[in-house]
Amino acid sequence: MKAPRVGIIGIGQSVFTRRRDDASYPDLVREAVVLAMTQCGLDFDAIDGTVYSLSPDAMVGIGNAERLGVDAVGGRYKPFLRINTGGATGISSVAAAYYHVASGACDVVLTAGADKVGECGDSQTVLNKIWDPIYERPLPQGTITMLAMSGVRYQQKYGMTQEDMARVVVKNRYHASLNSNAHLRKEVTVEDVMASRHISWPIKLMDCCPQSSGGGAMVLASEAFIKANKLDAVWITGVGHCSETYYLGDRMGKGQLADHADAYALSKSIRRSYQMAGITNPQKEIDVAELYAPFSNTEFHSIEAAGLAEIGTAVPQLNEGRYTIGGDIPVNPSGGTLCTNAIAVTAMIRVAEVALQVWGKAGAHQVKGAQRGVASGNGGDHQFFGTMIVES
Amino acid sequence: MELLQRKEIWNITYTHALGETASWFFVQLRDNKKLYGRRDAKSGRVLVPPRAFSDQTLEPTTEWVEVGPGGQIETFTIVYEAFQNLPPPPYAFGFVMLDGADTAIGGFFRGLDLSDPEKAAEKLSVGTRVMTTFAEERIGDISDFWFELD
Amino acid sequence: MSLKRKTAVIGTAILAQPGDDPRSLEELLYDVVQDALRDADLTIEDIDGIVVGSNDQFDGRAISIMAASGSVGGVDRDILSTPSASEHALVMATLRIASGLYETHLIVSWSTTEASSLSEAQRLGADPYFHRRLPLDENAGTALQANVMASSVPGLNDLAAKLAANTRSNGARTRSSVSLKGGALGKLPYPLTDEMVTAPVTGAVAMVIASEDYVAENNLTGVAWINGMGWATETGYLGDRNLNEALALEVARDRAYGEAGLTSPLTQIDVAELTDVSPYQELMVSDVLGLSARADWETDVASGLFSADSNLPVNPSGGVLCFNPVFCTGLIRIAEAANQIRGCAGKHQVSGAKTALAHAASGFAMMYQCVLILGAEPTGEIA
Repeated sequence: MKAPRVGIIGIGQSVFTRRRDDASYPDLVREAVVLAMTQCGLDFDAIDGTVYSLSPDAMVGIGNAERLGVDAVGGRYKPFLRINTGGATGISSVAAAYYHVASGACDVVLTAGADKVGECGDSQTVLNKIWDPIYERPLPQGTITMLAMSGVRYQQKYGMTQEDMARVVVKNRYHASLNSNAHLRKEVTVEDVMASRHISWPIKLMDCCPQSSGGGAMVLASEAFIKANKLDAVWITGVGHCSETYYLGDRMGKGQLADHADAYALSKSIRRSYQMAGITNPQKEIDVAELYAPFSNTEFHSIEAAGLAEIGTAVPQLNEGRYTIGGDIPVNPSGGTLCTNAIAVTAMIRVAEVALQVWGKAGAHQVKGAQRGVASGNGGDHQFFGTMIVES
Repeated sequence: MELLQRKEIWNITYTHALGETASWFFVQLRDNKKLYGRRDAKSGRVLVPPRAFSDQTLEPTTEWVEVGPGGQIETFTIVYEAFQNLPPPPYAFGFVMLDGADTAIGGFFRGLDLSDPEKAAEKLSVGTRVMTTFAEERIGDISDFWFELD
Repeated sequence: MSLKRKTAVIGTAILAQPGDDPRSLEELLYDVVQDALRDADLTIEDIDGIVVGSNDQFDGRAISIMAASGSVGGVDRDILSTPSASEHALVMATLRIASGLYETHLIVSWSTTEASSLSEAQRLGADPYFHRRLPLDENAGTALQANVMASSVPGLNDLAAKLAANTRSNGARTRSSVSLKGGALGKLPYPLTDEMVTAPVTGAVAMVIASEDYVAENNLTGVAWINGMGWATETGYLGDRNLNEALALEVARDRAYGEAGLTSPLTQIDVAELTDVSPYQELMVSDVLGLSARADWETDVASGLFSADSNLPVNPSGGVLCFNPVFCTGLIRIAEAANQIRGCAGKHQVSGAKTALAHAASGFAMMYQCVLILGAEPTGEIA
């Protein structure tokens, strides 16, 4: 059976910010849903399935919070389920929606969610609880420390300075300054980043993503529905997931599948997506990439995993401007996760932003002539990776 | 328009079963100041910390192998920021490949000056030899040991 | 809309964990997956994708798929998680196979009792805006619905007690070697009694499913075909619902029955596994699914309609009442129904079962509803 392509007909995202005291959690979901539904011009009656995007419940402070989002997504009396793959949840939700359509079960599927990370008090406390209680919970592990450790190994293997990391921040903040939905939009210099305080060596404050609040929504539909209703759409042509071992220490040994410096499972996941989409030479065939990288150093191995640079060569190429808007293959033209991170939907926004690019609707941060892009999401302790190809 | 807020605290205690493999590891640590890994018969890898099965081969592990107390740093970080419910900074921790092991175990690095990040990072660079130090009073927990530079 | 191709259940495993069992959660999951793979006569290499379902708050892990992932074979593999309900993991897996992109899938769900209070964990599911101060856990939700039902059906409380006794005697036939009664329940909200609900225990369930193409290519026999699948949700706020009806179940039922070509449940179904959150819900579900109309509950229960030796045994496994690993009870109903079709339901096998009905419900007062029709032969709509 040939892999069917599924269309994206509607996209909605909040203007992300730290706190949204004017809106409850379901209100934020609704906000994004209304935008997506308005764009495709459909009534809720046309939606015949819903996939709810929500990662740790503790971030929003409500157990099984998707239940409170049912009405926000118009899901009453409809097929409804929730996906959670940690930070990759948003892209896994779009993938789940893709399968709802590709399976023949539904014609039109809505996927949506929101997060209020800024309300949680301390996201690292929650994220400390993702580690297993047997061996690793007693360590003060969090996502920042975990990815700092990845940076240490990347540095040792391939070379990377803190100034190189700072240049990723400069690039992404410049991109975000052009994106009216992004959270951190103020441009910065390398000096600004280097002067920001150390959080977890080598990661400094400005190397980190913010704690964002806001919602995201997408409407997917079958090719038949799109044709019959003469709708405008862009197409999901590749989907893939892969995961690594949970144990960080297993990514540092002999005979390991993956090194914690790299993003092995991400590269495998992307390769599955490329294969499905018929892409054999990403550096030539990919016009734009939205790669999930919540800390500056992780953008390097993500670029390599996407095949947009040979392993260990992303640093000099980024320094040359290859991945900046105007360069060869812009990476995170929206500003990426580094500038906006509402965890439950961040990976969905990656897909949304690629879709907007190939649709020509990316406004001031449009990559000219973009026709085909790759999106990725990471979850767990750099463990679950979802990827997707979207084209016009 | 007056906007109200409500504070909620999640407070549930969990009693997690460690299983026989982890329990034996922690008992050896507590009573004998020794560290062990478990060998995956299919690949031959000695997994530290030990588990009852390998998640790569999905085969049960078969024998105990004593590892350490020396080892080398595989990665580290130094934390300078305070986070709720986590220790007061600064502190350094990371992963160590104990002698005889094929995977690395997490632990704190103690006994070094962390006030200058770059100098401290140099001291902890990947490949540096360390020695496991055991606490005087041990309870059968990862906090029973830490690493110091050799 | 109909699925592009059919899927069959080719292996299952259900594990209980008695109180003195030394296994850690990961070890339990490793065992249940190995059991299911053995039952399907496959290795993990034959599995294209995995979907798991578990509850972070029950487990005490902020992303409970993480540590589980390795134990269920997730390393270097494609794995998703549906924490909304265990049955949703099966739904997601079936859709993935129907899409043509996967030939096989492993589905795993589990439920632990490591939290100091599952009730407390469940209460975190109430919204913090209006309802968190109420003692609203799943038993309370069940009780609220029971009272609404009882106000329109005289004698319902006695009937519920009788039905519970029926279910227990079903269960007594099968659960012998392992002690499955959980710890003390404490005071239950009226009208629930400890004859009607059981304390939570730790358990896990794993299933292996395959596409019709895979089944044909490998000449597999004795599989349980998923001939109809429907799922839907109620709204989240209990106060927005009429608890005397189950509209989401009607939607799920219509889709499942429609796909399977089922028009006369009482005559066409040989065995049913319903999620008996309590006997009250079991009765409501029986009504909506066309097994026992509200007006006939009294006579049907009295006549032993649902007992193990009737024409339509309901919960021959003993249901949730006899084995309550809370989060995965929905998926267990599906596994039990599949086992009936495959002829491997052990001591509670209903002889000659060719068509089975599985009903899964989760959340406060059966918020999520899911209906499956399984059969020995593939039937119904195919695209």
